[in-house]
Amino acid sequence: MLNQVILFLPELFFLFMALVLFGLTVASGEPKPRRDYHTALVLSAIGAVITLGSIGAEGHLFFKAYRLDLFSQLFKCFLGFGLFLVICISSKLDGIAERHHPEFYLFLTTSTLGMMLLVSAVELITLFVALELSSYSLYILVPMRKGSDHDSEAGIKFFFIGAMASATMLFGMSYIYGVCHTTYLAEIMTTLPQLIHTPGAVVGMVLTLCGLFFKLAVFPFHNWAPDVYEGGANQVVAFVATVSKMAGMAILIRLVALTGGDSTYLMNVLIILAIVGMTLGNLVAIKQKDFKRLLAYSSIAHAGYVLLGILSMSEIGYASVIYYALAYLILNVACFMVLVTMSEKGQNVKIDDFSGLYKRAPLLAVTLLLGVFGLAGLPPTGGFTGKFLIFIAAIEKGYLWLVIFAMVNVTISLYYYIGVVKAAYLNPPAEGSEPIRISIPLRLLNYALIIVILWLGLYPSTLFDQAKIAAEAVLAVL
Amino acid sequence: MLDGLSFELLMAIVASMAPVLCFGLIMVFTRRSISASVTVGIIGSFLSWFASLYLFLHYFHAEEAVVFKGAWVVSASLKIPFGYYFDPHSLLMLMIVATISLVIQIYSIGYMAGDPGKSRYYAFLCLFSWSMINLVIAPGLLQLYIFWELVGVSSYLLIGFYFEKWSASEAGKKAFVMTRAGDIGFFIGIIILMLTTGHLSIAVFGNAAEVGNTGLSQALLTLSAILIFSGAVGKSAQFPLLTWLPDAMEGPTPVSALLHSATMVAAGVYLVSRIFPFYAASSTAMMVVLIIGTITMLLSSTMAMTARDIKQVWAFSTISQLGFMFMGLGAGAYFAGVFHLTTHAFFKALLFLCAGVFIHHFETNDFFEMSKAGARKMLIPMITVTIGVAALSGIPPFSGFFSKEAIMAGLAHKGNIWLIAGLLGAAMTAYYSFRVIFVMWFPKGEVEEHGHGHEGGHDDGHGGGRWAWVTEWSMLSVLLILGAITLVLGFFQKELEHFLTGHSAEHHGSQLILVLALGCALAGVILAWFEFGAKNAKQEGFLSRMKSVEALFSNRWYMDHAYRKLLDYVVYGGITNTFTRNDRVIIDGGIDGLCRFTVSLGRAVSRIQSGLLQYNLYLTFLVVALMGLYFLLV
Repeated sequence: MLNQVILFLPELFFLFMALVLFGLTVASGEPKPRRDYHTALVLSAIGAVITLGSIGAEGHLFFKAYRLDLFSQLFKCFLGFGLFLVICISSKLDGIAERHHPEFYLFLTTSTLGMMLLVSAVELITLFVALELSSYSLYILVPMRKGSDHDSEAGIKFFFIGAMASATMLFGMSYIYGVCHTTYLAEIMTTLPQLIHTPGAVVGMVLTLCGLFFKLAVFPFHNWAPDVYEGGANQVVAFVATVSKMAGMAILIRLVALTGGDSTYLMNVLIILAIVGMTLGNLVAIKQKDFKRLLAYSSIAHAGYVLLGILSMSEIGYASVIYYALAYLILNVACFMVLVTMSEKGQNVKIDDFSGLYKRAPLLAVTLLLGVFGLAGLPPTGGFTGKFLIFIAAIEKGYLWLVIFAMVNVTISLYYYIGVVKAAYLNPPAEGSEPIRISIPLRLLNYALIIVILWLGLYPSTLFDQAKIAAEAVLAVL
Repeated sequence: MLDGLSFELLMAIVASMAPVLCFGLIMVFTRRSISASVTVGIIGSFLSWFASLYLFLHYFHAEEAVVFKGAWVVSASLKIPFGYYFDPHSLLMLMIVATISLVIQIYSIGYMAGDPGKSRYYAFLCLFSWSMINLVIAPGLLQLYIFWELVGVSSYLLIGFYFEKWSASEAGKKAFVMTRAGDIGFFIGIIILMLTTGHLSIAVFGNAAEVGNTGLSQALLTLSAILIFSGAVGKSAQFPLLTWLPDAMEGPTPVSALLHSATMVAAGVYLVSRIFPFYAASSTAMMVVLIIGTITMLLSSTMAMTARDIKQVWAFSTISQLGFMFMGLGAGAYFAGVFHLTTHAFFKALLFLCAGVFIHHFETNDFFEMSKAGARKMLIPMITVTIGVAALSGIPPFSGFFSKEAIMAGLAHKGNIWLIAGLLGAAMTAYYSFRVIFVMWFPKGEVEEHGHGHEGGHDDGHGGGRWAWVTEWSMLSVLLILGAITLVLGFFQKELEHFLTGHSAEHHGSQLILVLALGCALAGVILAWFEFGAKNAKQEGFLSRMKSVEALFSNRWYMDHAYRKLLDYVVYGGITNTFTRNDRVIIDGGIDGLCRFTVSLGRAVSRIQSGLLQYNLYLTFLVVALMGLYFLLV
């Protein structure tokens, strides 16, 4: 019994954290944003450490509906640190009314908890419930922004598309259940590959994947991204763009691995979605003036690259996606950190607002440069190495032309990424703009991010080896 | 990364990393304080030298090469090691490089006294030593190549040290570009080896049996050997890439001594001798080495015969001696080439440093003027320069005699024509080097004595009264040390041969060759004596009676003119122009068009992205439906 509690410790801790934060939401009196911030910061730091410590835990819980392996624990660790980083950059939480701050932290926590359950869930119903827990928290977070009506529109849109995706997913799951007569992934994994050529199995699989495509903003479930990115509060969007995406990648790997990699139909569908997604995302991003909207479209393109790694359906492919997920998390946090620090009163930041950043805050400019170049996939950043690994995995599977296509897309994406760098480094500062003050903790965070970005770019081997073992764990019969 | 930290490894790390640490220290911390920088630089070189000495003695009797290495890049078909590789050859070279670097740094205390850029100078010296040391002990060709290029960079910095002087910065540039030209071939050669054999380890290419096992076809082997040799041609200033070296004399004299005796230019010879079995496997490549060496040796000897600048004479003699080493290697005499490299390193450093003393004192480079100003009164430099010249000319019992003799024997083995070329070169060498000595010992015409008063004022201007002796003796002591090494090194031939090759041959060539070589050298000396030394000599070379030939020699066979023309017409006029136009019209134009197209495509696509919810959902499920349709059709 105690043993099982220890296995479940990270989740239990985040549940505890949610309870503490819930206590804060109902506490009466004046809102105390600093108290809320520090409570959340300390708790999430402990949480991150606990998830780190839980790497290596293995076992099954809850009638084998819940599995702990290196894959799930690695992702839990990523999620824990992602949440910590997002809370780190929430010290200037101007975009949300002060009395809502405890709720903001509470729902971030529940959403993360949902995602942690998600990466460990190996049973369809558990998986669905976990997914919904994380999604519903986000549905509340997105419209939380104070001020304009724009955000409620974003919230409603997000909710509607999310609900449709969930419905589709449930529908698909029912097909899978109908074909395999079980909801356990382990059993599905043994039966589904033989049935993968039957219509029921394929349709079930594709419809199930649709629900995850929504999470990852894969074409055609990408429509919410630009509006949510633009309409949501900066920190909320940072969470959606990083932690939530990471969970999406994890569960996508888990489900695609079920098929055994034998279905040409599924393969072709993924290829088409990857191609259309990245092209559409990159082309539309060129035109964007708002930095968050630009990142939204770039995230649609990135979902395409991720599909490229997943559809290799090989150990290396999954491992490269895991690596990419971490690099993507760090790079996005770097971009959002700069954005949050620059934004005045929680407003959105236009690309032109970066003008002269290198004079106003040289350190931020460097972080932005690395973050943006990383997203563009330039060495020596983690973004380059991640893309490189994904492309190698795809080439090994014989998708050379697909990789070439992705490369062309990467080149297109350079255009808008470099536009951001150009604004930050070459344009003169706007009249009357003042140097941006960076507090010491923020400065440290900057250095840490820079180091991690470069480290991911230059010394991939340690982490990639772990990722390979984690990918093996997914492929092993569950 | 490296397996296990032992004391030997620690020493290797000290030997290889101390200089670069000093470079960093000087650049970051002590740049303001000259004396601190000098101290840091000398301590660093001393540590490096001491560690090298330890390694040299420790591994002197080692049976096999000692390797410390970690893999830097490993993939299925490719292994690139990084680390240290100690075999007799690299140990010997390491010892030479560390020693010369150290004495040059000590010497520079005096020579560079009063120069405001002294900190920068010492930093660059350290950078240079670091690159050279790591080149020498590289376990693989890629590491060797990387440090090879770093040597190029640091030599650029050192040659162009007086960058405010136009000719100096031009000379630095020229040295860099010309050596780089050869390096292109070197790099292509490395790539060929890497692609065909999958590794670049010196342990493989330096072992005759292993070279045979690499499965390299004869044609590819020859091709890559010649390509790699082109790198050596550039670095060692061989024909046709030799004109950068005389110009490189623009740097401070100790730099010339460092670059042109034991280190930078010797790197080319070192490279070929390092993978000698690899070259030996291709007779064509060996022939190329031999021919290039011979041409260079003869050409540059003629150039030295007309020069009036003492550094220029030594520069041309360096080129010709390097050519001589290549001749030895090309003729298959591995030990002779390496031995000459060793002896040459010391006596050529000696010659340059002596020249430095004179230049420092008389503030002129022209040895005719030095002579008139009373050079012969400076006894220590005069004696040491004479020792150096005797060694250079191959007069017994100085070290050069033994190594030249060994090469001659190798050449005789290869064929008489090569021996004749070698003898001719030896005669010319003796002639031009003794020309310098006789002119300096026996000044002709009115002698304007260099008064002591002037000298004193001069010293005050540089070193400052109380420390003048430091300035002076830092230079003189180094001359004495190098002079002593030059005197005795020749007698260690057998020990060195045993150390390098594992056995020592009892005899080298016949008595006849010995007599011939000595005779040629003496003939050169005697000719020089009658023209420059004897009482009523006019101090005009026989060449001055043949104006056109003299012009040809002193203009370096018009090679610089040819290169200038080549640059102007072919590179600037032809290639650059074409590429510029291509860049502007096709690439720029094409990219602009492509960008406009992409941006407008982006506009068009973004129109589909409307914010209407119903429309969005419609689009989404349309795609899902299409997926279903596709499934039905397939």
